[in-house]
Amino acid sequence: MLSVPASETASSDYTLLTADRVFDATGGAPIEHGAVLTRGSEIVAVGTANEVRAPEGASVEHHHYPGATIMPGMVDCHTHNNGFGDGRNGQDLAALDDEILTLQAAGNARRSLFSGVTTIRENGPKNMTMFRIRDAINEGLTIGPRMILCGRPVSIIGGHMGYFGGEVTGEQDCRAMTRQLIKEGADYIKIAATGGSTPSSFPLLPAFNVDELRAVTDEAHKFGKLTATHSTAIKGIINSLDANVDMIIHCVYKEPDNSDNFRVDIAERIGEQDAYVNPTLHVGRARIWSLMQKERESGLSEQDVSDLDETKRELEVRLEDNRRMIEMGVKVITGSDSSWGDYQLGNTVYESELLVDAGYSHLQGVLSVTKWASEALGVNDIVGTLEPGKQADIIVIDGDPTRDIDDLWNVSDVFFMGNKLDRGSGASLNAVRQQPEEF
Amino acid sequence: MSDSNAQFTLLKATRLVDGNGGPVAEQVAIMLDGDTISAIGTKETVQAPEGASVNEIDYGDATILPGLVDCHVHVIGIGDGRAGDDLVTLPDEVLTLQAAQNVRKHLYSGVTTVRDCGAKNRTTFLLREAVEMGIVPSPRLILAGRPIAIIGGHLSYFGIQATGPTECRSAVRQLIKEGADFIKVTATGGSTRTSYPTVPSFNIDEFSAITDEAHKFGKHVCAHCTSSGGMVNALDAGIDTMIHGVHKDSDGSDTYRPDIADRLAEQEVFVNPTLGQSLARIRQLEDDPDRALETEDIDTMRRGNEGRMDHVARMRDAGVVMVAGSDSAWANYPMGDFQTEIEAHVMAGMTNMEAIVSATRDSAISCRVDDIVGTLEVGKQADVLVVNGDPTREIAALRNVTDVFLAGERVDRMNFI
Repeated sequence: MLSVPASETASSDYTLLTADRVFDATGGAPIEHGAVLTRGSEIVAVGTANEVRAPEGASVEHHHYPGATIMPGMVDCHTHNNGFGDGRNGQDLAALDDEILTLQAAGNARRSLFSGVTTIRENGPKNMTMFRIRDAINEGLTIGPRMILCGRPVSIIGGHMGYFGGEVTGEQDCRAMTRQLIKEGADYIKIAATGGSTPSSFPLLPAFNVDELRAVTDEAHKFGKLTATHSTAIKGIINSLDANVDMIIHCVYKEPDNSDNFRVDIAERIGEQDAYVNPTLHVGRARIWSLMQKERESGLSEQDVSDLDETKRELEVRLEDNRRMIEMGVKVITGSDSSWGDYQLGNTVYESELLVDAGYSHLQGVLSVTKWASEALGVNDIVGTLEPGKQADIIVIDGDPTRDIDDLWNVSDVFFMGNKLDRGSGASLNAVRQQPEEF
Repeated sequence: MSDSNAQFTLLKATRLVDGNGGPVAEQVAIMLDGDTISAIGTKETVQAPEGASVNEIDYGDATILPGLVDCHVHVIGIGDGRAGDDLVTLPDEVLTLQAAQNVRKHLYSGVTTVRDCGAKNRTTFLLREAVEMGIVPSPRLILAGRPIAIIGGHLSYFGIQATGPTECRSAVRQLIKEGADFIKVTATGGSTRTSYPTVPSFNIDEFSAITDEAHKFGKHVCAHCTSSGGMVNALDAGIDTMIHGVHKDSDGSDTYRPDIADRLAEQEVFVNPTLGQSLARIRQLEDDPDRALETEDIDTMRRGNEGRMDHVARMRDAGVVMVAGSDSAWANYPMGDFQTEIEAHVMAGMTNMEAIVSATRDSAISCRVDDIVGTLEVGKQADVLVVNGDPTREIAALRNVTDVFLAGERVDRMNFI
């Protein structure tokens, strides 16, 4: 085994990472005593430490991680980088200046990256803010994970997240908005298929009519872009499926009267149509935690008490719905929805944990935030697994997350495009993690 | 180190420089009570009240100083050599983001107060909003917002071009409304492609309208002057800080003007000579001689710099107070390196102690914040810099930053989030 001192490795041709385990996320169990060899921004080889070697005579920078697992950087399918995750609502967030939201997004992008999330999909920023972050990264002014951007969500007038700047009416405007977003640099199209937390919207009712939804999805697909719909009601899910949406977000089985009604027929359709489900379970749990903290610190109002009970009840219902979808083989993946509501970026792992609670094995939980997530975003040709030719987005985890998903919190190193990141002080990294509550 | 959440922080070191220019205090201790300095003395004498929780740090062979005050920055700059004309083509969101990176770098390098001398549109005001929201770590910000320029004048691309006394007054009022702490005027052209660096820009009636209106609201005025004609106008208009202060005739010849120096002294106008800008560039070229040969003549730059330093020395002899302001991240001078400007002051003839005073007390006076920062005194804000070694003997020791406290809070200089 070739090993050279760090001081001589600044311009090494290759980087060799070895650890007790390499989990390449291609399907099998971790490789014991594994190794990953990278060159520049790409992975060259993955295998056992005995078989993976740099070519004879090449300079190699070697990092060995005893007790650790080397795995692909995590992929979070659902983020809101403008957000604060301090409980503030979307309309108050949207009232801030674009420059402020861009600054917040820059911090959030680093929170993700330093926590081991090397690819994010952004699900609803205001105006051009995320395109500006991308500009700044391309200028070399800041760093952030790979970003799959929607620009602004497409919404009906007064619909959920309409305040971010993407309100349209009718088939023609839906097409125009889709083209406009693609022109600005959108990688996929996010649509609010039902209302949501936005006060002027109706969370239990469909927002767009099917012809409008179809106009968006057809136009997006024409240009090779994926689509995803916010759907917090049954009719929104049905409309989304009618419009051939690629990912159902939230996927809440609720009737217009707010009653819960898990619809096996719809779940089957989701499976048949090969759509992904991003259930966003932890954003509810984060609300529960934050109310519990408030209870301890300052007490709860009557409204808070009923919110707490209702949020706990809904989390149970949603966990059960997802347990059934997972049993049926529906592709349920990790997308945190942070920093929305009380859920802060840099805490993606909480969502994957809940998918394990909903029935995934620990190993499947890891796949839901790596391989499967990259497939859901259509970026599995470059990230999501450790394979030769893919991008060297690699994280090092103390422990074995395929046996205990909580180990995903123990990120000891992050390599992004082959470069080892300087993530700063332990105190600053620890401050990113939100503290759990027992209930 | 004991309790990091304690109300009191007790810092001890071999030396303390309070920023007033007096002798270095030995075997010192300084007590921070929340955000305020509550006691300064010897290690033996300074004590917290009985029973109080104290976080005590002994830095050993180190020097405790006031947090540095950089009276001239451009936080939206990139410092990679690009011209302002090109910088402003970037969207405001991107410039604000760059500003956030810059203020963080400056803070981590020991600067706890900056005066921003010109940014595009509302970017610095929005930066301040983000700082107040806790999104961005930053030194204290003293802001001009946009500089006031003539049509086509220097920095006019940042968003204000005014003609005539009325428009000048309205520009001042608009900036104050938006949150300006002082007014920046470009009294001559500069690097801006459409401007004339050796020619005065505003006429005296326009210039006086600006200073009168600013002073009426208790705001001070800083003027960019790269030629003698501009300096005379600025003095006639009653400005407070002369930036660059270049003695140059309209034909481009470098003629030192003792009459201007005398007026600067009489009117108690501070001069911010921005010597670090060219020193930083010269050092870059020295470190990379190949590039120097390609594009820039390092000897010409050195001669120019020596000429400026000579003028600065002569102005000081005439009684003019020099204040340190880096002008970073303009042109090739990235932020996070105010020390280069301070070193240039030493090269221009100041003692190390005088250069430190120019970057702490005097800089704070010129920024009108000396009531709260700039020196280590009981009752002032606990903005403290700790460096290894003794910068009064070796000015480069200012680069050995061990710790920075802003309003009594220890800055985590390894927080990159």
